Amino acid sequence: MNFKNFLFFTMAAAIFALPSCKSGSNQNNSSAAATEEAQGTPQVAEVTGAPKVPAPVGNRGPKKWIVNLETTETEGIIADSISYTFWTFNHTVPGSFIRVRVGDEVTINLKNAANSVLPHNIDLHAVTGPGGGAAASTSAPGKETSFTFKALNPGLFVYHCAAPPVPMHIGNGMYGLILVEPAGGLPKVDREYYIMQGDFYTKASAAKKGVLEFDNDKAVAEHPDYVLFNGKKGSLLGANMLEAKVGETVRLFVGNGGPNLTSSFHVIGEIFDNVYLEGGSTISHNIQTTMIPAGGSAIVEFKCDVPGEFVIVDHSLSRAFNKGAIGKLKVTGDANPKVFNAKTLVKE
Amino acid sequence: MKRLILYKLFGGILTLTFLFSCNKQKSDVASNTASIKVVSDSIGFISANVKMVYIPGGEYKPFYGSDSVRVTVAPFLMDERAVTNKEFLAFVKANPQWRKSNIKKLYSDSTYLRDWPNDLTLPENANPDAPVCYVSWFAAKAFAHSVGKRLPTLDEWEFIAMADDVSANARLKPEYSNNILDLYLQKDRQYRAVKQSKPNYWGIYNMFDLIWEWTDDFNSILTTNDSRAGQYEDKNLFCAGSAISSTDVLNYAAFMRFALRTSLKANYTVANLGFRCAKDAETQK
Amino acid sequence: MKIVISLLFSLILFASCKENKKQETTLPSNSIFNLTSNWKNQNGDSLQLHNLQGKTLVVVMIYTSCKLACPILVAKMKTIESKISRKDIDKVSLVLVTIDPKTDSSARLKEFAKTNNMDAPQWVFLTSNEEATQEFANVLAMKYKKISPVDFSHSNIISVFSPNGQLVSQEEGAIEVDNVVSTVHKTVKESK
Repeated sequence: MNFKNFLFFTMAAAIFALPSCKSGSNQNNSSAAATEEAQGTPQVAEVTGAPKVPAPVGNRGPKKWIVNLETTETEGIIADSISYTFWTFNHTVPGSFIRVRVGDEVTINLKNAANSVLPHNIDLHAVTGPGGGAAASTSAPGKETSFTFKALNPGLFVYHCAAPPVPMHIGNGMYGLILVEPAGGLPKVDREYYIMQGDFYTKASAAKKGVLEFDNDKAVAEHPDYVLFNGKKGSLLGANMLEAKVGETVRLFVGNGGPNLTSSFHVIGEIFDNVYLEGGSTISHNIQTTMIPAGGSAIVEFKCDVPGEFVIVDHSLSRAFNKGAIGKLKVTGDANPKVFNAKTLVKE
Repeated sequence: MKRLILYKLFGGILTLTFLFSCNKQKSDVASNTASIKVVSDSIGFISANVKMVYIPGGEYKPFYGSDSVRVTVAPFLMDERAVTNKEFLAFVKANPQWRKSNIKKLYSDSTYLRDWPNDLTLPENANPDAPVCYVSWFAAKAFAHSVGKRLPTLDEWEFIAMADDVSANARLKPEYSNNILDLYLQKDRQYRAVKQSKPNYWGIYNMFDLIWEWTDDFNSILTTNDSRAGQYEDKNLFCAGSAISSTDVLNYAAFMRFALRTSLKANYTVANLGFRCAKDAETQK
Repeated sequence: MKIVISLLFSLILFASCKENKKQETTLPSNSIFNLTSNWKNQNGDSLQLHNLQGKTLVVVMIYTSCKLACPILVAKMKTIESKISRKDIDKVSLVLVTIDPKTDSSARLKEFAKTNNMDAPQWVFLTSNEEATQEFANVLAMKYKKISPVDFSHSNIISVFSPNGQLVSQEEGAIEVDNVVSTVHKTVKESK
């Protein structure tokens, strides 16, 4: 090992050391979690495809979990019966939602499907450790890797494939969310949903007629053809609308895979009572639109006071109108004219 | 054995003896096994009738991985195409120790020649002229040895990979990387026969459109597959930041090859990973 | 009484030797003793890896002119050696394999062993040629690259092998010495 190498490793070590030292005055700091011992034998964790999320952790103590993920390269519908070659975690875009508690020990088993063309890996932003696990999890086609981490910091974290070229792996849909709940769990709400935005850059496949695939040039120029919630135009429309009842509190776990765009996340006709800013521990109130950076997240909560269809958008509105970043929450129940009253004026 | 019996009389120091005597036993046994070994380790030579192309070599700028910015590639000979199913069958016929049922676990994982129904039969639907896949680095190396060749080095392979069909170095052409990417994104291309597409500038076939290929020193890439620390800083590290032109950063195809190589271990066998052979130019004359 | 104990021991001895014999006739096919490459130790003796058979092996690849990572690896090997219980130490070989066979001759390895107080019998230094070195590195899944005439970059791995050459465990990167030591003790115990 030469001197430059040494310098690099020292620098890298310093970079990695930073997150592990970030505990501050916040009560949810990581050092407390580090001392809590995870109990029991590892169990396979329940994971879910969007918009569903696994059951809350509730009041339990730290445990050991096994999370099984498979990376695949498969065709799926991106919009209006148009196919696209997605790369996925567990066959879906976004990948499976992982839900653990701070102090949990999580073993990630990453299997790369035998018919994958490329190697894949996983970098979880919830991991304190080199590359978020990326190097440790790099799997050749048909191979499986494994690593274990302790969830030190509570929050809503993005995970993604970090195999080079990373923008392409993410651009093809290789991202998802992992929620690390604080001790005691998040406050109880009536409904929880999983939404993840991503920007897609497409061109006609050279090999396969009628199938779109990743366009490198558009990605570098950051000119997406599609900006989508949950990897598909209309994934939250029509029969797929999110649902709630008047009087219920809704919590949305919102992530942004990118690879490039920042989301201006907004629900038309609602005001977020609570926003866990950037998915962390600071809660802001009475927010209209919250910024979600690429590779970042937010938890938003609001009470449904009146019935109707509430439109979920990236408020960079060309994306909603023209590129697919639009969904709906359908709230059913009795009208509440004191909150909202649509009057029809009848002139004599 | 005499010593063994003698020692047994002295129960007190038996623990010590134990190792000793067992060791003795071992060397006896080792010589026994050597004589009863059915499967020989030495390589049986087979003839190869693949055309080799003379590559004059020269200086080139590696994609990444070197302290000195430019690397000199000595003249060498490269197989015009990958080793085929048919050829590998001939190899295992001549080399029982590399047959599916005999290969040592040290040299291969569990999917070696995965789809072969038995030691000496190609998969039912396999094209005999398609590149052989599900072979480990050890097996590829043994094959190369059996035909009097070696595996190409990473630099040799990448030197040839700079070419398109009309020029030796097409890296600066904007369409160069994208054309390769288009090929890389096609699934199941490893089942096609070799030499069905156009050769490159050197007359070499199928650099990109069929399979990933083993190189001799595939394990010489220390870059981690890590977006946050590895691939950006490491390039600065190795190339002092100055050697990276924007074309390199845009060379997604090369990123993929390097990512694939870093994901491999020498005993791995993979569905779309095969090899071709090379040779020093001098030894050919 | 003495005779009884002695008989008992003999029985155990026979039993265990027999078992060994059984294993021997079929050397595990994942054993590193299957490698047929030729090596030299620090004393200039020619050997093949199967000559190391019978002891638990702690293996690391280094090169003697390395100024940074290798001294740390060597220091870790010495710590491991010092933490292995003295009653087990004759059942263990600590093996340092050079990744720079061109520079690291037997004599140079001998010199290095002396300078670093690693000349007790449990220390084995090995050198070969570049092809055998590469093959061995690949058996360890170790990455390395020559980056100048005198320097290599390489991954830092310490591996433990059972007395019949099967890989027991590997520690990579920030190597936890205590993990290696407990693996060694466990392996020695299990192979008794």
